[in-house]
Formats: sequence, structure tokens, C-alpha cells
Amino acid sequence: MEIEFVNIPMVVDVPYRFAAGSYMARFLIELRDNGKFFGIQCPSCGRVQMPPRIVCAACHIKNGEWIELSPTGTLMGFSIVHLPLTDPTTGLPHKTPYTYGIVRLDGAYSTIEHFIDVEPDIQKVRVGMRVRAILRPREERTGDLNDILHFAPIGEA
Amino acid sequence: MKRKVAIIGGGQTVHASRRHDVNQGEMVNEAVRAALADGRMTMDDIDAVLLGNMEFFEGCHLTDCWLADATGAYGKPGLKITTGGTVGATTIVAGAHHIASGLFDRVLCIGFEKQEEGDSSAILSGVAHPLYGRSLAGAAVGYFAMMGASYMQAFGAREEHSAMVAVKARQNARKNPYAHLKLDITIQDVFDSKMLAYPIRLLDMCPTSNGACAMILADEKTARERCEKPVWIRATETAHNEQFELNWRDVTNTRPIFSRVCAEKLYKKLGVENPATFFDVFEVYEPATWAELVWYEDLGLCKRGEGFHLIEEGQTEINGPIPVNPSGGVLSTNCIGASAMLRIWEAALQIRNDAGEHQVPKDINWALTTAYGGTNWTVMTALSKKWEDS
Amino acid sequence: MTDRVAIVGVAQTRFSPKRADVNVGELAYEAIEQVLQQTGLEIGRDIDNSISCSHDIWDGQTISDIGITDVIGGHLRNEEKMAMDGSTAAYYATIGILSGEFDCTLLLAHTKMSQTDRNIVNNTAFDPIYTRMLGFDFTTAAALQARRYMSVYGITEEQVARVVLKNLSNARLNPVMHNGRDLSLDEILAAPLIADPLRALDLAPDSDGAVALIMASEERAKQITDHPAWILGIGSCYDAHYLGDRDLADCMALEKAAAMAYRMAGINDPRRQVDLVELGDEFSYQELLWLEGLGLCKRGEAGCITAEGLTARSGELPVNPSGGLLGGVPANVAGLNRVAEAANQVMGRAGEVQIKDVEIAVAQGHSGFCGQHQCVIVLGREPRSLSASAGRSR
Repeated sequence: MEIEFVNIPMVVDVPYRFAAGSYMARFLIELRDNGKFFGIQCPSCGRVQMPPRIVCAACHIKNGEWIELSPTGTLMGFSIVHLPLTDPTTGLPHKTPYTYGIVRLDGAYSTIEHFIDVEPDIQKVRVGMRVRAILRPREERTGDLNDILHFAPIGEA
Repeated sequence: MKRKVAIIGGGQTVHASRRHDVNQGEMVNEAVRAALADGRMTMDDIDAVLLGNMEFFEGCHLTDCWLADATGAYGKPGLKITTGGTVGATTIVAGAHHIASGLFDRVLCIGFEKQEEGDSSAILSGVAHPLYGRSLAGAAVGYFAMMGASYMQAFGAREEHSAMVAVKARQNARKNPYAHLKLDITIQDVFDSKMLAYPIRLLDMCPTSNGACAMILADEKTARERCEKPVWIRATETAHNEQFELNWRDVTNTRPIFSRVCAEKLYKKLGVENPATFFDVFEVYEPATWAELVWYEDLGLCKRGEGFHLIEEGQTEINGPIPVNPSGGVLSTNCIGASAMLRIWEAALQIRNDAGEHQVPKDINWALTTAYGGTNWTVMTALSKKWEDS
Repeated sequence: MTDRVAIVGVAQTRFSPKRADVNVGELAYEAIEQVLQQTGLEIGRDIDNSISCSHDIWDGQTISDIGITDVIGGHLRNEEKMAMDGSTAAYYATIGILSGEFDCTLLLAHTKMSQTDRNIVNNTAFDPIYTRMLGFDFTTAAALQARRYMSVYGITEEQVARVVLKNLSNARLNPVMHNGRDLSLDEILAAPLIADPLRALDLAPDSDGAVALIMASEERAKQITDHPAWILGIGSCYDAHYLGDRDLADCMALEKAAAMAYRMAGINDPRRQVDLVELGDEFSYQELLWLEGLGLCKRGEAGCITAEGLTARSGELPVNPSGGLLGGVPANVAGLNRVAEAANQVMGRAGEVQIKDVEIAVAQGHSGFCGQHQCVIVLGREPRSLSASAGRSR
């Protein structure tokens, strides 16, 4: 006997409105209004953490001083992505191939993930490369991580 | 733990990318029935039912409640654990605590995922902070791509080495009737597979599987009375990593991280000095090839930066001195909620000498398993054949 | 190794309809920081493990304990998450400490209901093939249960309204609650209908907040405080999922969970032995139904004893003197708030809502719609050994 399989198609669409919280809010506002990156320093171990957060996880105490960071940094790792992954903020796939990497801003302990503006070619990108954050024009910035367009190589080719 | 805890039964479904023949409950019930049959029990013998599952992957809230009939939880105590990729192992740990507490004698633990019913890579991007990194999250692929790039740059490994891991996993899977990707592949086949995110190719990654695993844990009295080959849970350990510092991407970092800290704590509990000789088999959670090489190092099976030599020398093959993932591992089967439990169940099968074609050809007295979850945490378990040895 | 377990510290954020100023981690830390200060404990030195209760779908994050790992002290340490009502965290923490693996456990429950939509989230708890497309949520399912229970046992709308009257009035005394107010029966009965017979004031309101507890083995507990709340018994049980498989006027799962907890606690006459109850009145009628399921009165009697004032603050058996969930407690946090309020009463730390001479208190929480999964925690002033195989099915 032939069995017919029945599938019920369904989109589960749950709307969210995430509160940034005071630490992340200040980070996003500085980025949007002044184009500046801020980290927060643990008074115990001294790590400058980005994004800023309430507690230093390693020391489990409240983070203290706000530190302005340079928009330049070093590429610590990267990947050239060929898989059209979905951008959950738009629901659309990213256009492939693109390069995405982790950057340690000068003076920061943490790294930040973002797109890297290089030709998606393994010969053109390397760990240790110097990069600079390229922001959207002030009037286009909305106060989220997309205010950073990408990181672009500096100094060398 | 206050009382000894044994694995006295277990079972798994056949794992596949499509299971349109069953709904979530029917699939879970396959594993539950297999475990009960293996343990020669009925649901009447079970005191409590614990479920591990990541509900976002199926688009269902409260899967433990929905599946209460299929799991056997109806009318019984129980709870649901959700710790990401580790959840199958966390559920076993919870089961072990239930038995050790003295309140329960027989506990059924279940892990499952029916990934085809949701969009797994969008959901995995949801692991990222909603306001920091989510729009560009590369799901699991991007993360492991950075790990691979970092590993090659730091230690001089080549893409061949990760391909060797890919081949070993799928060749082992061919000996495991339950595995999802039973592929007769070569290193060249790995190189020829689609580039997803450099240096990760399709065959460097785990598949998206549907499947379930169930295991029955019991106290010593029940184990000795009802089970010919109980496998003892000797120690478990869990360690997380802070949210935003994803240290596995940069393999050169020397700070304490979850994997090494967890292994160190577990070894201390058991007095393990040389894990490569203490344990007879390893089942590690490797969503990508490069992760297996990093596990070799983080578990102390070799020195830092030398993991790729182990695979090159064939040491971690089924018949090698340090067999790792004779089952085919997560690279061959990844049904998220079940994956970490499958590591423990496969290790138990090895100890019982019941692994069939993928049985390691030597006496297996001790086994070590790892799990891997989210933005970096792990649950490890150590199992033994006898309680008396050490 | 221990066979006695106690709650040694309790902290709660103020609950409010919307906390736009904090993210989930910051909200959780408000409670965690307080409970650590109160007990003088430090994460690195004193806490062996942590357990949190929340749901990915409420939090909008896959494996949402990632968002609280740092603040709960999970870095390089043991942290586990359960997708259950918060009461289950106390249940599971008790088991962990009894197992001998841990001596001191930090518990957390947190939810920001304001960041998403209650109807949509709860609709996804219904099976996707058979009931979900009917648009059910917990309120509409509860309406069916309310109607069934009221008609089987002759419970009147006025009796149910008295639960609202009492709990909202109690909530006025409790600084953590946000829905406290003095209303007349007429006002409650005239509130707009949501799903007959449930009116607007019959539903626990949307709330944001977090609760943190610390539990410890006997030896550790005695070092930390002179007045712990001892765990006397724990129990849990699942009912069936499909409403059509249940008589919604029955409470099989709660009766079984309570039987397990009472067996451990040596309670054979709960009405006489229990001094105070904090239970999950997610919907007003549930206070009556759960009272019966907990064996604190006969079936169908809960409406009368409530109308007679027996469950009032001044009554013989105060029920939800804290204000209950109707007072404004977030979903999921609900059960851990019940345990927290009961523990505060037993420890004599309940402040304005304190009831005199509480020796034994019962806390109840539930997960799923119509109370499908039930969890019961019995707390007391005097310690009790918990080693009997209370969970054995045979």
C-alpha cells in the first residue's frame, strides 16, 4: 500500500523588541552619533571589553571605566563565505562570496566580528592585516551594528 | 556522587536528513522503544523521564509537554533541559544526579532534534546577541572557518589534515548502521566538495540530521539485578565560556578556556595523568573537522599544535592506539538535541563490546566523551566497564 | 554527603510591566547581585553550579542562557538551563545537591514578557498539526478549563472573583508586585471579557523581572544563615498534552506531584499540617483548582472556603499572601517567585507580607497550558532527611 506523507507548512513568526540595556545602549549611541567605539574596563583584571557589559565574567564584578577605542585594529581571523546564509534582521540571504572576520581594535581585549572589505580571494587577506572601521554616513546610521559598513585594509595592500 | 550510577539500556533511531514518515513524537518514540527493549523494561519500570531538545529548531515551544505521551512522561515526574549542542549530555548528567540523589532508581533520558522542521542555520545565527553580531552571524560554518584558518596559520597544518578527519569520520560511519552520512570518500572528494566558507568545505561540516537517542540510567542494585553489562558513569564535568570572547576561533590563545578547564577538572576527579593511555576510546563532539584536531589538543592527547600529526599518523583510527569517534561522530550524524547523548551511548556500546562493525578491536575499559554547545561550552563524561578498577 | 537541603538566600527584582532600561542579562544581575550580597557569598569561592529557567522563544535567543552566562558566573564553571517554570529549578537544584555533586547552587529565573507577544509565544506551545492553527493560546485554553471546572463543581463567578479581590489586595503590601489594588467584587465582575468566563482581571498581567535563590547542603547552609528554609519534599508530574485527552476539571498531575512531595515531607494531612500556600494563579480559577489538587480541601470546596475567608491573610490557611501571580509576576519566573515567597515566609523575612508562625509552606508551579506539568516544593523551618526513594514508581 502506498502511504501518503502529509506535511503542514507553517511560518512561526515571533516579533521581538530587544532592550539594549544601558551598557550596550551607550555603545550604540556613541557609534551612531559620534562614530566612536567604546569599551569598558574591568577594575580587577583590566580587560577592556567590547561590547560593554555589566559584569566581567572572569572576575564576576561590575565593570568600571569607559574607554574610547581606536577605529583601527588587527584582523585576528577570517573566512570567505560562499554559503548564502540568512541575515535574520532582514530575512534575506547575504550575497556570496563575502569575507567576514574578527578584528581586535587597538586597545581592546575583545574582538568584534564584521564584514571585511577585501576581494574574496585567499591571496588578498591574511591574519595580522591592519584594518579600519568604515561607518555609514552619519545620516544613515540608525543605532545598530549595521552602522558599521565593514572593516577595510589600511597601510598595506 | 552519593550513589553509583549505571547505564543499563539505550537506543537510537536511524538518522537521516528526511523523516517525513514520522512526526516528532513518533521519531522520539522509536528511540524510547529501542532503549526499553535494550534494557528489557517497560515504561512501568521507569521512575522519571528527562528530555533534552532545543525547541527553536522545530518551531515548537514546550516540546516536553507536547511529546509527553511519546516520551512516556505522562503521569511521571520529569523535566526538560535546554543547553544547546550539549543538551543530550546535560540530560544524562541530570539523569545521573536523579539516581545519585537516592530519590529515583530508574530514569529515562531522551535527546532529539527533527531539524528538517525548522531553518537550522537561521536559528544558529540566533545564538548571536540580538543587537551585536546577529545580522552578520555566519552560523556554525563561519565560526569553524575562522578556527580552521587560525589553526593552519598558527601550526602549519594544511587542508589535507582536516580532509583526513572528514574521511575518517565517514569511513567509520559506513560501519555504523544508524549513522546518517555513510560515505565512501577520499581526501580528493573532500577537496572537490563545495566551498562553504574558506577553509570549510561541505564535507568538513556535520550534516543536518533528524534523529533521537534514549538511555536508561539506574542505581547499583537495579543495574546488578537487571543488566548483564552495566556501564558505569564515573565522572561528569561542565564548563562554560563567557559570552562575547569566543576563544576557540583563535587557536593560539593561551588563556584558560572551557575545554581545557573542563578536561583538567575531570581528570583531577579520576586521577588521570595520561589521558591518551588512561582512556581506551573517545567520542568527541566535532561539528567540523578542525574541531576534532583542537579536541585532541584540548583533551591532552598530544601537545599544543600537534593535533594534525595524530590524524596524519593514523593514531585516531578505529584500530589506532587512540581511537576517536569510531561511530563516525557528529561529522556523520548531527541531530543537535541527540548528538551529545549519542557520544555517550556510542561510548557505552564500545564498553559493552556491542558496537558491531565499528567496535574498536581491543579491550575497552574506559571511555571519555565530550559535548559542545553554543558560544563555547562543554559537558564531559567518563565511563567505565567495572567499578572496582581505577 | 548531605541528605538535607535548604534555601539560604532569596532576592527578587521589582516586577514591572516593562523594563525598557535593561536587557535580560542586566535584569538577571539585579537579582543575582542582591542574593550574593545578602548571603555574603562569592561566585568563584562559594558557588558550585548554577541553574537557570527561561525559554528561548520568550528570550528571542537560541540557547538563551548565553545571555546570562556572564552575570550568573558561568565562565569556566558549571551552568545549566531548563526550559521549565521556575519552580522546577528548585526541584532540580535539590536533586543536584542530594546527589553529592554540589553543595551550593545559584538559581535564576528571568523573563521579559514585554519584549514579545504572549499570544504568539504561547500559541507555539500547541502541537503544530492538530491544534495550533486554531489560534489557541494559554488564555483560551484556560477559559475551557475554567468553564469545565466551574460547571462540574458548581463554582460561581463570584467565588472566582474573590480570588482576584484577595490577591490584588495582598499584592498592595508586596513591594515586588506591580498589580496590587483594592477593588470591589462588582468592579472585578464588570471587567471586560477576554475569553468567557475569564475577564481582564482574571489573568496574570504581562510582567518583566527576575528571581535569584541560593540553595545549599546542610553543612553549607548552617554556615551561611541561622534561618534557612529547609526543603522537606519535592514532586513533579506530567499530564497529557491534548486537551481532549484530559478532563480539565481533574488535576491528576498535581495530585501525583503533591503525593510525592508530601511522602518525602511526612505530610499525611496537608490541610492540618500546611500553614501557608504560594501557588500558580496564572488565572484566577486556578487558585481554586490547584488548592483542591494539592489536597488542601475537598474537590469542589475551594470556592466556598475562599468565600469564607479561610485563604485570606488572616485566615486559617493563607493562600498567596504575596499577591500571587495575579499581583504581577512574569511567566516562567512564576514558580521560582512562589518558592521565593514561601521561603521568605518560612525564614521570617517576608516583611510586610509576613504571616505569623509559618512552620510549613507549600509552593506550586506549573509549565504548559492548563497546568500540564506540575511541580510542588514543600518548605519548613525544621530540617528533614530526604533520602527515601520518594520518586520510585513501584
